[in-house]
Amino acid sequence: MRRRHNAVPGFALTFGATMLYLSLVVLIPLAAMLLRAASTGPHELFSAIANRRALAAFGLSFGGALLAAAIAAVGGSIAAWVLVRYDFPGRKLFDALVDLPFAMPTAVSGIALATLLAPQGWVGRALLPLGWKLAYTRGGVIVAMVLVSLPFIIRTLQPALADLPLDVEEAAATLGSGRLRTVATIVAPQLLPALGSGFALAFARAVGEYGSVIFIAGNLPGKTEIVPLLIVVELEQYDYAAATALGAAMLAASFAVLLCIHLLPRWMSRRRLAQAGG
Amino acid sequence: MSIELRAITKSFGEVTVVRGIDLRIATGELCVLLGPSGSGKSTLLRVIAGLEEPDSGSVLLHGEDVTRGDPRRRGIGFVFQHYALFRHLTVAENVEFPLRVQKVPGPQRRARREELLELVGLVGYGGRRPGQLSGGQQQRVALARALAGSPRVLLLDEPFGALDARIRVELRHAIRRIHRELGITTVFVTHDQEEAFALADRLAVLADGRLLEVGAPSDLYLHPRQERVATFLGDANVLVGEASERGVRLGGVELPLGVTAEATPGGRVRVVFRPEDVQLGAASTGAAQLGLATVEEATFAGSFERLRLRLPTPPGVRGVAPPAPFGSAFVWLDAIRPQPDARRLPLQSGDEVQVAVRRVHVLSSAALRLLVLGSDDPPGPAAALAAALAERTPTTVSRAGATPPPDGWDLALFDLLPEGAPPRHLPGPEVDHLLFVTPGAALPRRILVCIAVGEPGKEDVSLAERLAWRLAAHVTVLTVLPGPPQEPPPHVRRFLDAAARALGRRGVEVTTRVRHGAPRREILSEVTEGRHDLLVTGAPVPPRGQPFGLHGLVERILAAPPCPVLVVRAMHPTSVPAADVEEPARSGR
Repeated sequence: MRRRHNAVPGFALTFGATMLYLSLVVLIPLAAMLLRAASTGPHELFSAIANRRALAAFGLSFGGALLAAAIAAVGGSIAAWVLVRYDFPGRKLFDALVDLPFAMPTAVSGIALATLLAPQGWVGRALLPLGWKLAYTRGGVIVAMVLVSLPFIIRTLQPALADLPLDVEEAAATLGSGRLRTVATIVAPQLLPALGSGFALAFARAVGEYGSVIFIAGNLPGKTEIVPLLIVVELEQYDYAAATALGAAMLAASFAVLLCIHLLPRWMSRRRLAQAGG
Repeated sequence: MSIELRAITKSFGEVTVVRGIDLRIATGELCVLLGPSGSGKSTLLRVIAGLEEPDSGSVLLHGEDVTRGDPRRRGIGFVFQHYALFRHLTVAENVEFPLRVQKVPGPQRRARREELLELVGLVGYGGRRPGQLSGGQQQRVALARALAGSPRVLLLDEPFGALDARIRVELRHAIRRIHRELGITTVFVTHDQEEAFALADRLAVLADGRLLEVGAPSDLYLHPRQERVATFLGDANVLVGEASERGVRLGGVELPLGVTAEATPGGRVRVVFRPEDVQLGAASTGAAQLGLATVEEATFAGSFERLRLRLPTPPGVRGVAPPAPFGSAFVWLDAIRPQPDARRLPLQSGDEVQVAVRRVHVLSSAALRLLVLGSDDPPGPAAALAAALAERTPTTVSRAGATPPPDGWDLALFDLLPEGAPPRHLPGPEVDHLLFVTPGAALPRRILVCIAVGEPGKEDVSLAERLAWRLAAHVTVLTVLPGPPQEPPPHVRRFLDAAARALGRRGVEVTTRVRHGAPRREILSEVTEGRHDLLVTGAPVPPRGQPFGLHGLVERILAAPPCPVLVVRAMHPTSVPAADVEEPARSGR
């Protein structure tokens, strides 16, 4: 360990404080839940998760969150590009609006979405002739998830984009590269790490989202029900064992997905380096 | 001809950065574009590369018009100041990038990559990332990458701007060597005069978006035509003297030299001589004696010694560069001499020494030049005044319509008769000063100079001095202080005294005045009370990057001018007078 003059006192003290904080806020509550889940029998645990309703909820929660994060990644990238690379009237205002979903209670955005997307709402009415129905469907769930996860993508991409010098793209052009090639081989790879962490944050937020989803989902068991809602349902029936079992399973699955998202780019670049090493 | 630029003009918003540049660069030539920052040299390079599209004019590469063409299809290599490497790719991948674009097969691509890494001296670095290399190494990678696609033209935009002095010198040699080996047509942009000399086959000096002069480095250094080129390329002593039958007269000394055709005997000529052409000590043959000078400062500079000398102003001579303190009775001369000479005749601050000059070069005309804008049919007051001025002073008068004025104009005349208001079309930075002429204007007999205390004020006084001396006019120097009447602060007093001395030197009759109150009202009252017929005032200094405009006090005076108004613009940044007001006690020495 390097010993350099540092304004914050010693490693031991700060590391201790960090661990204490992490333990109190994150590890101990999680451990309590896992302990609780472990104290239930394996059979009970299995039956709480491996039923049709729970599996459908898991499918919607994780599948929906991944899809929502992907949609947000595309839309958010475009929005971040516009905000960083162009100057237009109202840019500052637009930029401030991005944070609004952070500040709003999610129930408010849920109600707003429900009124908009309902068959009588502005958007719902417009979509009806097309045969599209978003309110009280899985589509509606994904719309709500995209809404709450979008700011994460924009806010993580903005600094990365601002750091991307314009002359790099000009250099690619003078070397004969077309727009498409420049974006694919020069711009995108340099944004990938930022996009990866933005995607992870967006996914995490979408998976954990409760407030805004339940208003728009309709919550039909086995169809538009998400895991967090199912946990609440179990709790309301005083089935603590099933609730903790679902919670533990969700924790494990989320952790696995996030780990994959973080490791994927590193693995990809290592493989590319190994290829180029000739 | 590899590159041919025809009348290239480029503006960004309000600001015109490149003004009608014509330049031809031969195949295999290494041409350096040299100029201060903001001179438009980088923009010109980007126009050649196709990264900027010119507003007008055309770009020809190898005889083919590519003005609107895509940078991809120009066959150029471009090196950026901040390397612009692909940071997520390895050095090898960076260099191979243009080859992949050209779909060069793998084995050939790798061979070419190794060849280029060898050329720039980075063999074995292929597997590293740009972030693991030093700045100099990164720029070498950028150079290899730019050359990889076998371009026919190599363009470098201040490539060593972000590097240490030692590495710059090393890379300079690398560029020269590579240029020699490949024989590729190269355009190199820099603001560093030393770098330009070290690299250029041919040098193009730019300022304010214009091409001042093009030529071999030694030619431009020894025989510049314009003062700005002379002072930008190395140190220069510039004096204004008089043309004589046989050469140039500087005070009592006649230098027997060939004078350019434009100076008639008796006319004013501007001469330049380099510090190394100044000879110190005992008289010798072949050098013209300038007189006895005092050593102001002698500094050690390695293999030579650098001196600044204070020479009492010879009669009829005006010092231009290096700029002497305002109101002083001497000119400054810069000299350098090799260390052996310094040991033979040691000099230190305060010593007196005989100064001679071995070689002087005559610059193009030093006369006040007037540019009349607007039509001359029927002749308006501006044209009439210009003609009268031309008769009384060695002034060149030229007429221009809506076309941009020719290079190097000192003064532009505006006729206030037709429009009754300042014209919208103001000349660009190539015109130094503007003279607004009111109906019924005659040759000025009583000139009022309004000054703010400070640098621009010195320019006002200096121009008024030149005019008043020619016209034998009386000059009043006025400063307006805000608030109620009171004793002016000492620095204002000192400045006015210095102004009076500066004018008095030439035998101009001077009065100084201090008034208190609102500037415009006080100035107008002074014009009426003193029956002045020319008002000289400074132009507002535009913010950096902004065009020259007339606002504030000047604009309000021009809205209803009481008499002709001469608006003096601060000099170009390359020749800003740095010296302070001379203390009266010291000037008496």
